[in-house]
Parts: sequence; structure tokens; C-alpha cells
Amino acid sequence: MNRNVDLEQEGIEIKKSCCYFCHENCGVLAYVKDGKVIAIEGDPEFPTNAGGLCCRGNIALKHIDHPARINYPQKRVGKKGEGKWETISWDQALSEIAAKLTQIKDESGAEAVATAGGTARTDDWARRRFMNLFGSPNGFHNAHLCWMPTFMIETAICGWSPFDLDMGNSRVIILWGQNPGASGMPAMHHLTELQRKGLKIVVIDPRYTETAAKADLWLPLRPGSDCALALAMLHVIIYEGLADDAFIAENCVGYEELATHVADFSPEWAAPLTWLTEEQIREVATIYATNKPGNIQWGTTLDQQGRTAGGAIHARALLRAVTGNLDRIGSDLLSGPSLDSITEEEMECNEYLTDEQKAKQIGSDRFKLMTWPGYSKIAENTRKVWGKAPTAEWMCEAHPPSVFNAILTGKPYSVRALLVSATNPVNSYGNSKVVLEALRKVEFMVTCDYWMTPTAALSDYVLPIAGALERPTMTTVYGCADFILASQRAIQPMYERRNDYNFWKDLGIQLGQKEMWPWETVEDAYHYKLEPCGYGLDTYDEFVEFYRFHFPEREYNKSQRQGFATPSGKIELYSSVLKDLGYSPLPEYVGPVENEIDHPELAKEYPLVLSTGNGFMPFHHSEQFQIKDLRYLRHEPYFQINPVTAAEYSIKEDDWVWIETQRGRMKQKADLTQAVAPRVIITQRGWWFPEREVVEPDLGGCLESNTNVLTSTRDEDCDPMSGTWANRGLLCKIYKVTATDEKGGN
Amino acid sequence: MARYAMVIDTRSCIGCHSCTVACRVHNNLPVDMIYNPVTTVGPTGVYPNLHMAHIPLLCMHCEQTPCVNSCPTGASQRREDGIVWIEESKCVGCKTCVMVCPYGARVSNHEKGTVQKCDFCFDRVDKGSIPRCVQSCHQKARIFGDLDDETSEVFKLVNGEHAVRLLDDLGTEPYVFYIYGLEG
Repeated sequence: MNRNVDLEQEGIEIKKSCCYFCHENCGVLAYVKDGKVIAIEGDPEFPTNAGGLCCRGNIALKHIDHPARINYPQKRVGKKGEGKWETISWDQALSEIAAKLTQIKDESGAEAVATAGGTARTDDWARRRFMNLFGSPNGFHNAHLCWMPTFMIETAICGWSPFDLDMGNSRVIILWGQNPGASGMPAMHHLTELQRKGLKIVVIDPRYTETAAKADLWLPLRPGSDCALALAMLHVIIYEGLADDAFIAENCVGYEELATHVADFSPEWAAPLTWLTEEQIREVATIYATNKPGNIQWGTTLDQQGRTAGGAIHARALLRAVTGNLDRIGSDLLSGPSLDSITEEEMECNEYLTDEQKAKQIGSDRFKLMTWPGYSKIAENTRKVWGKAPTAEWMCEAHPPSVFNAILTGKPYSVRALLVSATNPVNSYGNSKVVLEALRKVEFMVTCDYWMTPTAALSDYVLPIAGALERPTMTTVYGCADFILASQRAIQPMYERRNDYNFWKDLGIQLGQKEMWPWETVEDAYHYKLEPCGYGLDTYDEFVEFYRFHFPEREYNKSQRQGFATPSGKIELYSSVLKDLGYSPLPEYVGPVENEIDHPELAKEYPLVLSTGNGFMPFHHSEQFQIKDLRYLRHEPYFQINPVTAAEYSIKEDDWVWIETQRGRMKQKADLTQAVAPRVIITQRGWWFPEREVVEPDLGGCLESNTNVLTSTRDEDCDPMSGTWANRGLLCKIYKVTATDEKGGN
Repeated sequence: MARYAMVIDTRSCIGCHSCTVACRVHNNLPVDMIYNPVTTVGPTGVYPNLHMAHIPLLCMHCEQTPCVNSCPTGASQRREDGIVWIEESKCVGCKTCVMVCPYGARVSNHEKGTVQKCDFCFDRVDKGSIPRCVQSCHQKARIFGDLDDETSEVFKLVNGEHAVRLLDDLGTEPYVFYIYGLEG
């Protein structure tokens, strides 16, 4: 909101919109005159942000008409990545894309068309609907890195992920690998307020973060050792008399098996693995088990640990059950799906995808939890109790690294087309050098984006997408919450930008899906989703204006009424679902993907411990580097290193340093800080340089400081259940960038 | 007449810089100018025994104003409600005020040739609203109000908590107050 803008002039309309620069979707009031947004501010009446906006939220008007935005459909006319484009109409783009997809489908089957997504800032039930009707099972996101392994493991063992935290009635919360102080401002505000009223905050994080600095207890563990910590906490709770026997007797099966399983996972065992003391491990277990009710807030950290992720998530989930911190007042609640509205899963047309095509989903032969084999089994259980299933988009996806490999190797079959929406895979998926190679090779690529990202630059078509303020938003936590937050678009999309919904719908219509897309606008579709709530309104915008959100009354002890959505109807401490899929029914200990104990030879060459992927203000993932009013805060990429370690390598503050793993190297500048332990390197994610030319071969320096050059997606480094790959718990080496050695990223 | 003041509760501040960006956008500032930087102290100590504090800075809207007193043209002024501001048309960019301000709160605009600074967003305050940085703060670490109003939150905080003024011994009597926690 600029002070030179008169907000009292005539003809201004205030729209109830939202921020769209991360998935918090903070409420925004947009002042609109003559079809233009002239000012914005945080919506003081919105339940999450209560008027607040972070750095990103404040720059909405710098983003909406930024000179680098893509405003018209672009068709490649030069070589791939050469940067030569022709502006064409949407009609031409869609009909040419449809023709090419038809050709590929006829020649190679629908499964030869895949789609890559990013975070939940799109209407991806529409993407799934399109893909299902088209006949391809190969949609994917970075879902693996962000909550979905957690969601599916928790749903497997207790019938839904208990992500609805009743913090207002709680006494202690564990923020496990989560830093809301940099990534979830509304949550941080609520935590701060509750802390003043007595809530105790425990932060488990290798890094002294914005949030750790405010915590009542901080557990600075070794990166990637969460599995050992969670198992040892289970051991302490079970063997030191802290378990909630009554809750377990009433609600759980498999307690004896679990107790036997964790007998050897003592704090003495875990201390050297986690770099914590036995006392610290006992303390955190005791605090959580005895200050009831309590919460465990999921962070994406565990999802990003590759091979060790499944065991860590599984063990963490069981902590709730053995302490009775589940489904009870003040604890972690099972919201279940929205029973009042039509869910995203119900919009996806999953029933239209044949079993034959489902079986072709890439990765589903090895990683069964988040693909059709595991999803079908879990969805069958949830349908029996809730009547509904988790969203298939996000929870049931092709394995991204395997799709990129399929493009390169033709195995298990050839993937010829990639439809990219709202993601820049070069920077956000694992093992970037392989991803880049795949994007260079794929026969046909279409990218829907705001900007000419390195990925867009390699595309055959780039389509201009409507952003914050130009699109309505229904916030539903990936379609898996029982509540709805609703925001309207402030203005119609500028230039020839369109919603991602319209891209999928219009492309579907070109491909003969017309009768399956009855909603002209995304608002029409939202209205359809909301109708069963019974507000009796004519349009979605009316709902936003009069109600803005829909919160069903919170119900405690739901399981006493309906049981848990598992085969036994109980919380399965010994999981029959995981066992049936061929996995361990109990959480196995797995060490960090690369570590000095299991891989001593590797540790000689790569002696430092690496963690990547942490969020940091003011950027979100690989976005917003174009916005000067944010970039001035963080002009260049930095990694964190303890001064003691830096001294060993003669590294000074601000030195450019190469960081190298078995996959390759990239460079960032040194931030000498006590916030990390000696021997630990923590890099910033996302970096590329839009101020450079985004053309081959440099593509905006997309590998140069890109932390995903370092991450591992090898099958053996991925979690066997979910297939999530390894961003954290890796080994690296570092050396200073020299004058003769400063170019390139690998 | 009101006497406007701001309380900054550093116990809540997480150093996210939302306030600086909100201010920059509201005041349409060039990239090299900033009214309200957030300085981070730390982490101090040795891992894992650490402390960290964030101190947002801005014009202190002093009662005793070296900037106003030294201004040769009368551009720098203090209103009756305590807001210190610069009348741009009278500023010749001599930077005397920049040099005398003990808080470093004044910055030169090289494009305009004038000096600028925080004025508590009086464009908003005069219409009954609150400064942009205050509204934007998720953490509610900035509290703005009338110190003459005994029911106001700023009155309660200034008189009920250990609210301190920066460089208090200079006698400038700032109307920006800071509350520190143990971690500070």
C-alpha cells in the first residue's frame, strides 16, 4: 500500500483476496479501482494472519506487473533453450499442444505423458482430473519432500494424519524439524501467544533457528538422526513407565510387539548417533509424555531424509499413540476429510483411470506407499470409516526421480512429454544435474509459469499464468482438512494470463473431455464444491464476502464413535497395512543416508555433514529472486558453517566456497555462525539468477549455487516405502573457490 | 492531543523483516534506502549454548530533537502529537540532521536530494489507522498508540513492563520503547 495512493477516492472496491507466495494463503484486502489493484494490506479479520503479512506478502504489487512476468503464450522458434520465442494465441497453443499429446498417446500410450508440479498453489485436482481422463498415471510433485510421506504413514497406522493440533488446550508442543519463524508466520504468531500463556515449546533442529531461539527447550541433534531419536523416545516412554496404559489398552493393537521391538533402542544407544546426551533424550521424552495433553507438529524435515525417512516418520507417529496424545482434547486431532463439502479427491475422477493404466505408474513397483498399491489400500480403509479418501494428487503419485530417469533411459518405458505447472524442477527436485539432462532431452515440454525460469526456458511452449490477486483460492490443506478458507480474486487476470484450472480444462476440452468440465470458471467449480455445506448461496464470491471460512465444530474422541480407519479399527502400533505392502510393520532403525558409521570410507573423502532444503526469509523455494524489494535482504546465496570448522579450512566470512558431494558441486558464500555445530554444513535452497540471461548453456546459473546438485535420488538412497529422496543427512566436502576455478556449477 | 509512541517487544520479534519491506513499499523507497532496519544480535555464545535477539530500529520520535533543533531551513519539525517529520519542499539535503541523529534514523534520498525518515505513517495515523509496519507485523512485536491514553496498550506496556529507551542517557527522550526478554 503506497502512501501516495488515495484510498478514500470514489469507485474503490475492497476484495477479500489472499496472498499466494507460499501455501499459508494469508488473508489480504485488495483495493481495486477500474480493474486494477491499487493497494493491498493484510486482512485483520482473517483467522490465520490477523492482518499480518510477511516480506513476500508485502510485495504483491511489485509481483503483479513485474516487467519480467510472462504475459502471453510463447512458442519456441529457435533451438531448445536458445531463448527465441514467438507470441501466439491461447487457441493456437492449446490446439498444437493437444495435437502433439494425441500423437504421443497414439504412438506410445497415455503414460508417455507426465506432469510435474510444485507446491499446493494450484488447483491440482484439475490437473489430476485431466490426467485421469487422458489416461496417464504419471503425475507428480515435490509431494515426497513435503508432508505426504508423513501423511500416508500416519494414515496407514491410525486412519488419518492427526495434523489438526489443538494447541489452545495443550501444555507442550514439539516442533520437529520445523521453523515457523521463517516459514509459517501465522503459526509462529499463535505459538508466541500461547507460549505467553504457558505452552512449552520444544524445538528439535540441528540449526539454531528463529524458532529455536524462542524455544523453552532446543534439541540440537545431528542432521538426519531423527529416526534414532524417535526410537529412543519410544524406548524411554515404554520402559520408564511413561506410557498411557489405559489409552493403549482401549485404542491400540500391537503394543507387545512394539515394546519388544524398541527394547534395544535405549538413550545410551541413541546418544552417539544423535549427538545428544542420554539426559537430553530422556528429558524430551519425559516432557512430552508427562505434560499432557501435548502436540507434535510435523515439519518437512523427516520427509526429506531419503532412506531413513520412513522409519523416522513411523517412530515419531507412534509417540502420540503410546502417550495418548491423539484424538483427545489438547492433543493432535483426526480432522478427517471434509464431510460437508465435495473434496478434491471427489473432483479428481480417479475412477476413470483404468487398473491397467494405474499399474503403469512409474515407481509403483518399488515405492508402494504413495503410489496406487498403497494408496488404494489406505483409501479403502478411510472410505469405510470416513466415507471419503485422501486426495490422490499429492498422496498417490509417480516417483519423480524415476520419471526423470525414464526420460533419459526409456525404462521402464519412454516418457516423451512433460507438462510442467508451477514448478522449476531444475532447482527444486533432487539431483539437479540429472533433472536438467532429462529436461534437455524430453521430446516435448510445456511449462505454465509466471516467469521464464530455467525450466521454462527449455520448453516448447510457455504459458502465462495468473498469480496472486488474479485468482480465487480455496485453502484446504491439500484437500485433506475438514475446514475451508476462501478467498476471491481481486481482479481478472492481466494481459493474457489464465488460471492453471483453465489450462487443464481447456486442454481437456481440446482432447475430447468437454462434458467432463462443466465449470466455466474456477469459481463455478468452487461453488459446486461448497454447495453441500448448505449456505444456500448463488456464487462462490458470495461465500467469500459473507462467510470467508467454514469450520465444522471440533469433535474430540472421534474414535470412540467410529473407531480408527485401519483394518483392525484400532491404532496399529504393529501396522498391518505396511506389512501387507511388504514393509516392516514396526519402525526400523536406518542411519542417515550417508554417515561416518555406516560409510567410513566415504566419510574420509567427504568428512562434513550436509543438510539442505531449509526455508529462509524472504524467498519461497526457488521463487522471488526477481523482486528487488526482497532480494536486497539476501542478495547472494549463503551456507552456514561453524567458525571452528571454517578456520580449519581457512574460510573467512563471505568467501565463495565449493560444496561437493558424490553427485557434484555447487558454490555458496560462507556465513560463519554458531547456529550450526562444527562439522555441519547447511546450505540455502532454490538459488538461480534471473538477472542473468536464462538461455543455454548457463540458464540463469541454474546449477551454480543450486543445493539440489548435492542431493541424492538413487533408488537405494530413497525411502523404500514412499520413495522420498535425500536432501538431508548427507556427507560433503568443501574447498574455497579460486580465481581459476570460479566458473560453472559442476 | 495525543502523544504517539511505539513499543517494540523484542521477545516476539523473529527478525523476519516484514516491517522493513512493508515500509519500503508504503513509502516507495529506492532499494538503497531503508527507514526501519532490523538488526540481529547473535547468535552469541558457543554452539549449542546460544542467544539471539532482533532489534528493529526506526526514528525514535524524540521529545528533545537534535534533528529539528539543527535543521537550518525548518524542514524538520515535530508535531504536537510528537510525530517528527520532514517537510520535503523545505529540505535542501544538507544532512545536518543525518549527522546529529544519535540513532542513525535519517537517510538521504540520492534521487531526490532530500533527507527522509520514518514519520509513523502519519498519513494513516491521521485517518485513525496504525503505521504500516505495525499492521504488517505477524508477531505483533510492534505496538503503536497514544501514550497519554491510560487505557492504551502502549501506556500499559510502557508503565507496566521494563520498557527502556535507547541511549537514554543522551536525554533525547525517545517515544519508541523497547521490551527485552531474557534471551536478549
